[in-house]
Amino acid sequence: MSDEAHTTAASRLTRRLVSGPPFLFLLVFFVLPGLIMVAASFRYPGEFGGLAPLSAGRPGEEAGLTIENYRVFFGDWIYAEIFAKSFGVAALTALICLVMAYPVALAIARSPRQRRDFLTLLVILPFASNFLVRIYAWMIILGPLDLLFSRTAVVIGMVYVHLPFMILPLYTNLEKHDPVLLDAAQDLGAGAWQRFWRVTFPLSLPGIFAGSALVFIPVLGMFAIPEILGGKDDWLVGNLIKESFLGTRDWPFGSMLSIMLTLAVLAVAGFSAWLARRGGGRA
Amino acid sequence: MQRLLVLVALIAAPAMALADDVLYLYNWNNYISDAAVRRFEARCRCRVKQDYYSSNEEMLAKLAAGAAGYDILVPTGNAVETLIRENALRPIDKSRLPNLASIRPEFLDTPFDPGNRYSVPYAYSVTLIGYNEQKMKELGLPTGTWAVIFEPKYLERLKGKVTVLDDPRELIGAALRYLGHSINETDEARLKQARDLILRAKPYWAAFNASSYIKELTIGNIWLAHGYSSDMFQAAQDAEKARRPFTIGYATPREGAVIAVDSMVLHKSGRRPDLAHLFIDFMLEGGNSAELTNLTGSGNPNLAALPHIRPDIKDNPAVFPDTEARKRLEMMRDLDRKSRRLVNRLWTEIKVR
Repeated sequence: MSDEAHTTAASRLTRRLVSGPPFLFLLVFFVLPGLIMVAASFRYPGEFGGLAPLSAGRPGEEAGLTIENYRVFFGDWIYAEIFAKSFGVAALTALICLVMAYPVALAIARSPRQRRDFLTLLVILPFASNFLVRIYAWMIILGPLDLLFSRTAVVIGMVYVHLPFMILPLYTNLEKHDPVLLDAAQDLGAGAWQRFWRVTFPLSLPGIFAGSALVFIPVLGMFAIPEILGGKDDWLVGNLIKESFLGTRDWPFGSMLSIMLTLAVLAVAGFSAWLARRGGGRA
Repeated sequence: MQRLLVLVALIAAPAMALADDVLYLYNWNNYISDAAVRRFEARCRCRVKQDYYSSNEEMLAKLAAGAAGYDILVPTGNAVETLIRENALRPIDKSRLPNLASIRPEFLDTPFDPGNRYSVPYAYSVTLIGYNEQKMKELGLPTGTWAVIFEPKYLERLKGKVTVLDDPRELIGAALRYLGHSINETDEARLKQARDLILRAKPYWAAFNASSYIKELTIGNIWLAHGYSSDMFQAAQDAEKARRPFTIGYATPREGAVIAVDSMVLHKSGRRPDLAHLFIDFMLEGGNSAELTNLTGSGNPNLAALPHIRPDIKDNPAVFPDTEARKRLEMMRDLDRKSRRLVNRLWTEIKVR
């Protein structure tokens, strides 16, 4: 009895030691900055950027706390419009990435073991050169095709940059599948398509959700690609946030937008986790 | 290549200099010649370390976030004003700047810095229209007016061949000038008028563009661009060097435009005001000052520089406007936070609808 208690205490200690650093990391680099943003989003902008003081220096000066930033956001359809557009681009990017990445991930997972590491290396090789340089290269490719400065160009750029983030989790998932399952399905008379649709695909759902989240979320905040490849209407939330901080030096408004984006992303992540659990249960 | 030379100079120079003798310069991209930096290093027996920015906002944001140690910044007028009001600058000691006398009086004592307590004019650019001269002639389009960028009757012939600056103040400012208002207008109704003008013209434009219009003009992908005079100078030179079958011209619209005067200022966080004064006076010398204009096509407020400037630049009215034209050029002022928010709101509409 006491021996068992001893092991649980030891395992609890190990668990703490293992989960401690990531927990601390999240606290310092996600929760704290998040809270600072929340606080900033309830303030007035300072004259030179930054935040207005909490107590007014002169009578009539805007100072202290306010919900004005949120009122502006909810009082105008244009912000909902830009959010909807960003989510549309992110969803489309994730979908195209999925369709393109699945065969690649499957091919790597089914290739001889000694070649897999090399193929994975090829997938991440583009990261060796700077991402902006690669986007500028796309300008040269898309220019003569008359696609530059368009929504299509933005989606192409987004897919190109984020494709590895879809391939890698999918591959990690597919690699773990037991080939015996497919043999069993074949023995039971399943054709190639049925083997894929009823065995491989359901088992790979967690990988699909992980990859989709890894693509969807960064795309939402991306501002460089729309700025470089985008046309006249291709502003996404990321551009609006960047313009608020750097262009108009309106930190509270930018903070408010970031918070709304974080909330929206958490909602999507929660939804996809729920979907994954449901999907996982069915498989 | 030029960057590489700077790098080599930076690595090679310290062998002779003491560790402390470093001047930290925070400047625009490509806004000083490498030769000038090397000559100054030889004279002051010190090293020059440079960081670069591509917009005033970027520079202000980095300073606001705590970047420090810069002896000299080269902000545009409105950013000079912001820095002065933030109490971030060190007053200049004019007794250490004998060459200050050669600056044209109309560039001194501006509303940004009355009496030039903090700033010394360095160079300027005008926001104007650059165009493919042959195409414009072929299509019978005017070039000396903002109408060609805003009026559908002209734009119909230019659809998809026009870019405008991806900068709210510049683009809304151009629209305001075309409507007969000031660039610094803050009246909501007038700003909305400018937005409507922009939204009406937007379907004809190819893109909002901040920098690649130089290349696009040179290649011939676009025929008309709203941009900075020094960029148009570069586009014209590149087109000539590449032996394109067309030439790039540029002209200041008669309705008036933005003139951006960049000034050298001393940041409070700098540790070597002695070297900084030496540098400012060095850059005011005619030859050094003219070198920048010959290299970048920037406007030059320095009388001593004129004899050293290439005649084709000196005679270009877009770079050196006459007295009449100069009256229609306006400097951009910093807006208060309410107006900034309004501009941001209108810009969002322009970029989304």
